[in-house]
Amino acid sequence: MSKPHSHLPLTILFMLAWRNLWRHRRRTLITLTSIAIGFGLAVLFIGIGDGSHNSMIRNAIKLGEGHITVQPKDYLQAPANHKYLSDGLSLSAKLNELNVTGSVAARISLQVLASTASNSVGAALEGFRSNSDQRQAMLQPQLIEGNWIEAGDHRGIVIGDGMARKLKAKIGSKVVLMAGKQGGDSQAQLGRVRGIFDSHVDELDDYLILSDLQFAQYFLAGEGAIIEQAPVTRFAVFLDDPDTMAYWKAQIKSVIENDLVVALDWQEMMPQLVQFIIIDDVGNYVFLILILIMVVFGIVNTVLMSVLERTREFGLLRALGLGRQHLLLLVFCETLLLSVLAVIIGWVVGGGTHWWFSQHGIDFSALMPEGTAMMGTFMDPVVYTELSWDRVTQLTIIIFVTTLLSGIYPAIKAARVTPVEALRT
Amino acid sequence: MALLTLQGISKCYQQGELQVNALNDINLQVEEGEFAALVGPSGSGKTTLLNIIGGLDTPTHGRTLLNNTDITGLKEAELSNFRLFQLGFIFQAYNLVPVLSALENVELVMVLQGRSAEEKRERAEHYLQLVGLQDVMQRRPSALSGGQQQRVAVARALAAGPRLVLADEPTANLDSENATALLDIMHRLSHEEKTTFIFSTHDPRVMERAERIITLHDGKIVSDECHQRHDEPTV
Repeated sequence: MSKPHSHLPLTILFMLAWRNLWRHRRRTLITLTSIAIGFGLAVLFIGIGDGSHNSMIRNAIKLGEGHITVQPKDYLQAPANHKYLSDGLSLSAKLNELNVTGSVAARISLQVLASTASNSVGAALEGFRSNSDQRQAMLQPQLIEGNWIEAGDHRGIVIGDGMARKLKAKIGSKVVLMAGKQGGDSQAQLGRVRGIFDSHVDELDDYLILSDLQFAQYFLAGEGAIIEQAPVTRFAVFLDDPDTMAYWKAQIKSVIENDLVVALDWQEMMPQLVQFIIIDDVGNYVFLILILIMVVFGIVNTVLMSVLERTREFGLLRALGLGRQHLLLLVFCETLLLSVLAVIIGWVVGGGTHWWFSQHGIDFSALMPEGTAMMGTFMDPVVYTELSWDRVTQLTIIIFVTTLLSGIYPAIKAARVTPVEALRT
Repeated sequence: MALLTLQGISKCYQQGELQVNALNDINLQVEEGEFAALVGPSGSGKTTLLNIIGGLDTPTHGRTLLNNTDITGLKEAELSNFRLFQLGFIFQAYNLVPVLSALENVELVMVLQGRSAEEKRERAEHYLQLVGLQDVMQRRPSALSGGQQQRVAVARALAAGPRLVLADEPTANLDSENATALLDIMHRLSHEEKTTFIFSTHDPRVMERAERIITLHDGKIVSDECHQRHDEPTV
């Protein structure tokens, strides 16, 4: 037969814990307020971080090669003009059959030497289909002179203002583009400047030459490509919903990937940007840790004070027959309730702050007069805070677990109370 | 067999370099239903002895047999359960849980005992009525007078159905009227419930009502006398 032992139903445990929590209403409210403010700041800063990162990523994807890129297998490791997808037509058909929710842009990338009568500079020639490319959507508004390339303009090029300065080129200037061929020969095409853009991203303004796809295909034809097969360097896939990237990447891989062709996502295409974001995130997390330290001290202070001033009461409860484990649970429940309240109030404050800034944004242009370009992309000067559900879950768990862990020491302290000593106090 | 047997109980404390013998070879038997007082001057060892009887403290030497159980050999968790089911405590400073009402304070020990909701509510109300607090059952301790709080403590101690109630100076913080009323209640309930009471005191009003007076001095029992029980309340 089992010996009788003490019971403490959860309802009573939580009732006691709840009432104990509000025994010093003002102290509990001050603690909750400090946690909520800390939490709100953490949500705001993480939201700004995520908002600016996502802004950079979106711009990088639009200026770059899309969410998913289909290109020759070894192109990323060693780009070269002779590496291209010779049968663009059939690859394009396969991609179209997938009905990707977004758009697919055919592109040609070539390393060229751009020359005018005044100067020569190394450049990247990017051929794309005019009027249907995201890159055009990004750069056309940045035109400072001339016009965008019209569809079917087989000689027109658009250059950045940095390159225009170096080449001393103006609207209408002729630019000879020379590209090396496999085997050591070279080939050249003549382009005419239709427009000059200023993106404020030096890597683009100094180095990029944009042309219609057909103009760039002349170079591939020089490499032996058959124009009728629509040769391209890559297909850039832009997704309407970036969260579906893993799904579409898998779909595209299953259809087109082979020994010669590979499908890469933007993280694989732009590892430097990923590294930059990780390092910047570390900074945000350091800030979060500082806030958590404040939260921990706040909670330990509240719960520990509450435990110390109730030593006699704990002694009484122990004398009456309450087991150590129940006393430990009681104090732990107080922390648990404090944590739940802290997370709820924290989300009301932090979520409200985030919502406001996600609608109205924060204008950083005054803080960054030099521009917002970095890592070959740029951040929109007005940052709208962003928080994904993953971040919401992550922050909730971090704050909840931290506050809960803060209660361990006071709970152990309470459980160590011996009735005879406590009743003497 | 006696409800309580103390065999050669000694308790030594170390205070700095000084060794204090709080209790010295105490031998005592208390029968079921007794209403006994431990008396003696401050520092005579009354509270220490009550703590040892209640399993709140351990003796340096000797054994405490309570209801045929040697509680000196029990582990801490076993002692805690033993206190819960066998003992009732009334302390000098009322010692109620401030966030619970009078009713909830009385129910608390029964909650820990695992009694059903109906039973604990019924018993708590019954004992609060017996101590004359039926009108203030929902009040929290802060809204009760010192005398009322101590009566709640008596109801709490008895409602749990203990074999032995230990009361450490229960009237020390009460005025004369409240002290007398409380003693009458304890006395009457001891009689009606056949519950054994041992209380420490140096209050002559308490001694007057005790059936047995055990006098301690310097940690030793110097006298153990049986008195005629003072019967009914004076109020």
